[in-house]
Amino acid sequence: MKGFTKIYLVAISILILPVVAKAQYCNYFHTSYCTPSEDEMYKPNGQSKSALFSKGQTSELSVIVYKGQDYRFSLCMDENLGSQITFKVYETKKVKVEKVVESKVMEDIYDEDGNPTGEQKEVVTKETKVVEESRKELLYDNSADNYATELEFTVETTRRLTLEISIPDAGGSGKAKGVSQGKGKLMKSSEMGCVGILIEHMTTPKQGFYGTGF
Amino acid sequence: MNKTSKIALTALVAFPLVFLTSCGGDEPVDEINEDIIEEVIEEVKNESYYQIPSPDEMFGFIKESGLKYNKSALNPIQNVSSYTDPKQQALNFGIYSADLAYTAAFEEYQESIKYFGSIQKLADQIGLSSAFDKMLIERVQNNLNNADSLVSITNTSYFSVVDYLEQNEQGGKLGLIASAGWLETVYIVSNTAKYGKDKAAIERLADQKLTLDNLLAYLEKYAESDADVKEVHGWFKELEATFAGLEEKSTGSGITLKKKEGAKKMVLGGGETIGISEAQFNAIKDKISEIRNNIVKVQA
Repeated sequence: MKGFTKIYLVAISILILPVVAKAQYCNYFHTSYCTPSEDEMYKPNGQSKSALFSKGQTSELSVIVYKGQDYRFSLCMDENLGSQITFKVYETKKVKVEKVVESKVMEDIYDEDGNPTGEQKEVVTKETKVVEESRKELLYDNSADNYATELEFTVETTRRLTLEISIPDAGGSGKAKGVSQGKGKLMKSSEMGCVGILIEHMTTPKQGFYGTGF
Repeated sequence: MNKTSKIALTALVAFPLVFLTSCGGDEPVDEINEDIIEEVIEEVKNESYYQIPSPDEMFGFIKESGLKYNKSALNPIQNVSSYTDPKQQALNFGIYSADLAYTAAFEEYQESIKYFGSIQKLADQIGLSSAFDKMLIERVQNNLNNADSLVSITNTSYFSVVDYLEQNEQGGKLGLIASAGWLETVYIVSNTAKYGKDKAAIERLADQKLTLDNLLAYLEKYAESDADVKEVHGWFKELEATFAGLEEKSTGSGITLKKKEGAKKMVLGGGETIGISEAQFNAIKDKISEIRNNIVKVQA
């Protein structure tokens, strides 16, 4: 390898280092920076997650919430990402839908005597198939709730939820500034930060009088 | 223990058979062009992460629902030395991790320490010993009679492994461990609960149809590049086919997340619930047992 290239590799390594370090640092971000509930009945949930985000990025976290439990989601993020992080909750479910699948084949053309003419024609066939599709239904959007970073709810039916986190873009273009590296995925570390989602759960408290009194 | 400390210990915890997938495969760089150091606009890659509720969440629930401890459902610790193949070791690491969570949830302290020992052995064999440092082992030994601490610590040990594998981009191995951990959880529940008697546990088992979707989505990310994951993914696709027969019944109203009158918290309700017949329960139980027994079997 040429010495010249080596220097560039070292330079790039120095650029990458903070990103790699930050990515690893993000692993425990939610345990350190997301504020837990003051309610002692809540227990930390293993579906909590932290990840490295860059400005303009949107990522999803798919979680399961069970019937008969209360959940609390709390968000925390590095300051450089801004305070108006969009947090949406969708229900995700698989639905079976009928789809018409069109296929085209070339078939030989025959004359009146049944002999091939040497020409071909395009034949279109349509077949109805049942396929599974994933559908999302929006349940909550924190931009309509003053960019709240906490959400607490009781679950009456078990659900698969998708939590969508979007970081505002510095330029508002849905893209982020970066330092290109060929196909270009290296980002400036100042454009990146950690986001954590702390999930807590507890058994839904029973209300009212229970038992067999006299 | 205060709340913050609990978070620090337990959030780690809980078998988040959480599976992250943020390995964003950049290609190796051999030659770098001179004009690369410039500000440009680049597309940001979005990610999807699929989480699996931890076994401790399931076991905490079934204990509350009144299900009794069932030692016979666990994989005997004597089997641990028989697992010599790396795939088998990773899968049984997941099995024993769920067994450990089960014994801890039911406060079977002496069993917990035995299962912790089995996990330690397998961790050494599959290159995860660094996740089990001396301090962690001492904490387990010092908290044998403290239910909350033991559950937290056993969860912490598992999460240490998850974290280690994520950081080292060993998502395939994590997929094997997580799959087996989830499988052992549903194996224990299905082999302990009685249809018609343990309604809450049976309902929770039916709800695993949704959890299985997340597990399959995670495995799919590694199935192409890892033959072991591909094989395990095939097993779980068969299980998915068994779960597919469960009927989703409408509750009569669409799904909503809103505050009900007089309620303090929001309520997630409506939509569909998953029903399960006795025949379906037995079919699912049989399929789960078939896959699980294939994992834990010891060659003669």
